[in-house]
Amino acid sequence: MGFTYLDWSIVAIYLAASVAVGLLGKRFIGKNVSHYLVAGRELGLYIGIATLAATEIGTITFMYNAELGYRYGFSAFSAALISGLAMIIVGRTGFVIRRFREMQLMTVPEYFERKYSLGLRLLTGILVALGGILNMGVFLRIEGEFLTIVSGIPGRYLVLTMTVILLLEVLYTVVGGMVSVVITDFLQYVLLSVATILVSIYAVHYAGWNHIVDKVSSTMNVAGFNPLVNPKFGLTFVIWQLLLWFSLHTCWQTTAMRMFSTRSPEISRKVMTWTGFIYLGRGMLPMLWGIAALTLFGAGPMDRGVPSPVVNGRTLKSLDAMPAMLSQILHPGIKGIVVAGMLAATMSVNSSYLLGWSSIISQDVVLPMRRLLQKQPLSSRAQIVVNRVANLFVSLFLMFWGLYYTPPGAVYLYLNVTGTIFLAGAFVCVAGGLYWRRANTVGGYSAMLMGAAGAIVPFFFLHWNETIAGFAAFGLAAVGLVVGSVLGRPQNAPLMSVKGTTT
Amino acid sequence: MRAWQIFWSVSLLVAGCSFAFITVVVAIRGFEDLQDLFRRLHHQQDQDE
Repeated sequence: MGFTYLDWSIVAIYLAASVAVGLLGKRFIGKNVSHYLVAGRELGLYIGIATLAATEIGTITFMYNAELGYRYGFSAFSAALISGLAMIIVGRTGFVIRRFREMQLMTVPEYFERKYSLGLRLLTGILVALGGILNMGVFLRIEGEFLTIVSGIPGRYLVLTMTVILLLEVLYTVVGGMVSVVITDFLQYVLLSVATILVSIYAVHYAGWNHIVDKVSSTMNVAGFNPLVNPKFGLTFVIWQLLLWFSLHTCWQTTAMRMFSTRSPEISRKVMTWTGFIYLGRGMLPMLWGIAALTLFGAGPMDRGVPSPVVNGRTLKSLDAMPAMLSQILHPGIKGIVVAGMLAATMSVNSSYLLGWSSIISQDVVLPMRRLLQKQPLSSRAQIVVNRVANLFVSLFLMFWGLYYTPPGAVYLYLNVTGTIFLAGAFVCVAGGLYWRRANTVGGYSAMLMGAAGAIVPFFFLHWNETIAGFAAFGLAAVGLVVGSVLGRPQNAPLMSVKGTTT
Repeated sequence: MRAWQIFWSVSLLVAGCSFAFITVVVAIRGFEDLQDLFRRLHHQQDQDE
């Protein structure tokens, strides 16, 4: 079933509405950098849930989760379960996020100056920006693959299509900052959720629940259900994922920005708790689509233990099985709604990530450098200008990196490892800094550097698997903080606001 | 294997129902929140000026 005029009309209406609504945000920005970066810290519970969920649910999320489901069956659900449960625990306990919100931060590295030193804030800012932008670097290509397969746009227009979408996102993000992102996130969250529910119903209806279970059973046997005996998962994977998701929910800039933007620490906890339940569906539902695609189209030659998808006589990659399935089973009109929903997911993630990483560059790289060089502090308006320029710079990088780099192995695991470059050290420094009096600057530097080395060296140079790289990063970061703090001089830095960066 | 099948089936049901329920609630109540956000930001702007 091709993409009809009705489908194109639905997509065009969504794009126009999204950009128009996004541009509304400019009216509320004024000259205040806290309006631009954290929406004046005025987010309520429901809009907080919408923006946090929309930020962390993109087409890329659907693609990598569906790929995991296709390759590893129901065992993949363990990753979704861990992510959701970790979020609910963080929300219920207020672990890290309550203290962060009380400190009125705007970025995660800002904490490093309050607790440790300006230099460590700068180092963390550089690592966060590097890991975050590399992480986001693969989004465009994969989102483009989804759109071309489902809508039938010829592959030669992929670059043009993704460039146009990126430019639309940049337009309202640069103009209206966090307020624009929050307004569009609300619209996008509703649309992407409707698309998610529709696709789940279609997938189960066409593949059939019993067939789905039988296919996993016949293809993978017990490894398709029990993650502890699946060679890709196992106990080490579960522990690494627990560490990773606790650090993601507390120290990932785009998630943390939502916590900083809420009206109070209590609301930030509630937003995190309820979004945790959404996270269960965010992982498991697309994984189910992947398993349905395996059931319907998994009939090709074996590739790493599972049959490759074959659609209309063409053998595809496992990553492309889910969009190929959608192109076959969705009816006209529904397909338009689903593609608009996926575009909504794409735009909400990309705009939030653009703002998140550009805010790190402006607040935690440019501003600390100016202070180290003993230059005058920037005014609020100048900080907004720097952020906008950084936003454009990140977009340009994404255009080139995203469209020409292909990640090795499963996308989910690539994203996990690039995130771990800074998350391991950042999480250890934040948790240690907040809950261990002895943590000091020497320990902080050691943790950040050893955590980054623990992720980069094993994965990119030694080509060890992702689980070992993840373990190495968190383990080395923890050792770095403890040993460095014990060897270094004790310090009692007051957690006060940093002049010129907090409102 | 049977126990894992049941466990994942129940987990999927809980995940799907929570996702749908929260979507409906957020879609309805989020709009009020958004209007409140605009009011508060206007108020902050007035105070800034």
